[in-house]
Amino acid sequence: MSFTDADLIARVLSREDQLAFAELVRRYQSPVRAFLARLVRGDTHLADDLAQETFLKAWRKLHTYRGTARFSTWLFGIAFNEFRTVARQRKELALEDVEEGSSTETVQSAPDSRSDLRLDLTEALKQLNSNERAAVVLCCQNGLSHEEAAHVLNCPLGTVKTNVLRGKEKLKRRLPGYQHYESA
Amino acid sequence: MSQPEDKDPLDVLLREQQTYVEDDGFTTRVLAALPPRRRTWLRPILLLGATAIGSALSIRWLPWENLSSLDVSALLSLNSQVLLPWLLVISVAASLAWAVIAAVQWED
Repeated sequence: MSFTDADLIARVLSREDQLAFAELVRRYQSPVRAFLARLVRGDTHLADDLAQETFLKAWRKLHTYRGTARFSTWLFGIAFNEFRTVARQRKELALEDVEEGSSTETVQSAPDSRSDLRLDLTEALKQLNSNERAAVVLCCQNGLSHEEAAHVLNCPLGTVKTNVLRGKEKLKRRLPGYQHYESA
Repeated sequence: MSQPEDKDPLDVLLREQQTYVEDDGFTTRVLAALPPRRRTWLRPILLLGATAIGSALSIRWLPWENLSSLDVSALLSLNSQVLLPWLLVISVAASLAWAVIAAVQWED
């Protein structure tokens, strides 16, 4: 029998059911960890630490979840706050863009295949500033609406739309093989 | 509700990149790091305590002097003078039994 998120949340709240919470963690660990890994530019150990802190905070603050947004959206919000806290302390995670052409990882030649293009995209994502990266990852990879992303990132809707647009423009510019891919 | 563009090839490429991250013990680590649970014995104790007090008060005020011996003819007579005191006793006994069972079977 499969429980809905609401059933599991109710069980956690009413009787501190750790098995119900474990099921919620299992359901959402992948998108949360992937989101954080993108935000911290691929440092999976740091991403996992942040993801663990995200779920621990979710456990403590579950009574504040009102059910107006999807549970995953609520979790992404906590995860982004965790990232911001760490980013304030660690310079390498700062919000600024990596200058175009300054990174040795920037691919200068056209990729040979689609898989190369994916690798380039991973690198190009790392070079966006964290607000653009978060907006692009949430909206374009995780399928959140702009409104949901604005809720997660705690910023105006217009800012999210701008960040998605700008982020995607930068990605297209920084992907040498993208023109071939687009026309294919 | 505004949705991100779906027709953009870049969106397709980005979505293709989103792969499932294997759990690899992550859930276990999160559960191990959860704070200790609150004292779960407190609720059944409160339930039993409240029931004990309620029962003591009920027993104190039960009309013991009006309890007559139960026999078939008294039951069949449907005499409220006979049945009502017994009904009160049975109700108190039933609620006490229910509370004990509920406390013993309390789910953590």
